[in-house]
Amino acid sequence: TKKTNSQFNSLDRSLKMFGAVSLMTPVYTQARGYATLKDISMRLKSVKNIQKITKSMKMVSAAKYAKAEKDLKATRPYGEATSVFSEQAEVPTEPENVKKHLVVAVTSDRGLCGAIHTSIVKAVKALLAEEKYQNLDTKIVCIGDKSKTMLQRVFASNILFSVNDVGKKNVSFMDASLIANGILNSGYEFDSGEILYNRFKTAISYTTTNQPFYSSNLISSAKNIGVYDSLDAETIKCYQEYQLASMVFYALKENSTSELSSRMSAMDNASKNAGEMIDKLTLYYNRTRQAVITRELIEIISGASALDAKE
Amino acid sequence: MLYWRQAGLNYVQFSNIASRIVRRCVQENAKKDAIKREEAHARINKWQDGKMVQTKASN
Repeated sequence: TKKTNSQFNSLDRSLKMFGAVSLMTPVYTQARGYATLKDISMRLKSVKNIQKITKSMKMVSAAKYAKAEKDLKATRPYGEATSVFSEQAEVPTEPENVKKHLVVAVTSDRGLCGAIHTSIVKAVKALLAEEKYQNLDTKIVCIGDKSKTMLQRVFASNILFSVNDVGKKNVSFMDASLIANGILNSGYEFDSGEILYNRFKTAISYTTTNQPFYSSNLISSAKNIGVYDSLDAETIKCYQEYQLASMVFYALKENSTSELSSRMSAMDNASKNAGEMIDKLTLYYNRTRQAVITRELIEIISGASALDAKE
Repeated sequence: MLYWRQAGLNYVQFSNIASRIVRRCVQENAKKDAIKREEAHARINKWQDGKMVQTKASN
């Protein structure tokens, strides 16, 4: 056998001189174009790790979402009460009264939550492209890094200020007050405005809604303002400021609940997809392993039969 | 004109100061939860065409 081995080795070497693929290929180098066993097993390991990560992210989101939904129930009165006032008073929104507009886009800093942030940014872009907004002076407040990065490319000159670090911990009324103060003290005298946020419907659905708000001047000139007793300019101004903070608070709570539920389902889908990939890769790995064994057997047997034929 | 508006505060700031004092006066068993509600994490960054980063806006 030693003799035959050296014969094959010399044949091998001479073939290699001509650049041909060696006949006695060792197990670990296979034909070009097929993944090696090592490649497949590395890929399998990495996909399994990713599945573990997405599963744990889903658990974390589910826990946070349960708490956020409970908070939201307590926060609903803030949002519904403030919007009713403007509706009942029938604030005039004709173009001659409104010169300056403010758009507040509510997103957060973290991604991997489906279409939450892109739906808000799309709504902002669609809004600013509308007919009636062409003649208005519009400024944008970006809450959350996601809206900031997406909007600063096209609307950098329209951004009034941006807000960071929302959404990591539970939103408090203080956060909303900071934002409302930022708007009120910014020096931008808006006539009307709207908050764009994702209203939470169910654990698997949300809608992008806008909540309008108005300046105290516009409210004072509303048609039905006489319905409310004992309102003077000072009271209206105080209420408008407080209304702004309440609306921002409500929008932040709704948006964070929608975001958590969306992240939960996005991570769930990712885990499922990773599971499918693992199944497919495992089958491929087994087939490749069997092919390698079969090839080895063929080589041994053909080598042995060549030996017999020679004798 | 209201005294606090003359001093430069708006209603939101006024109401926050009042609520902060109320939270300090609450009974011990509810005080911890009340104080927790005061935490704010948001940071405001003013913009001036490009980005002008400024410190957190005052309460």
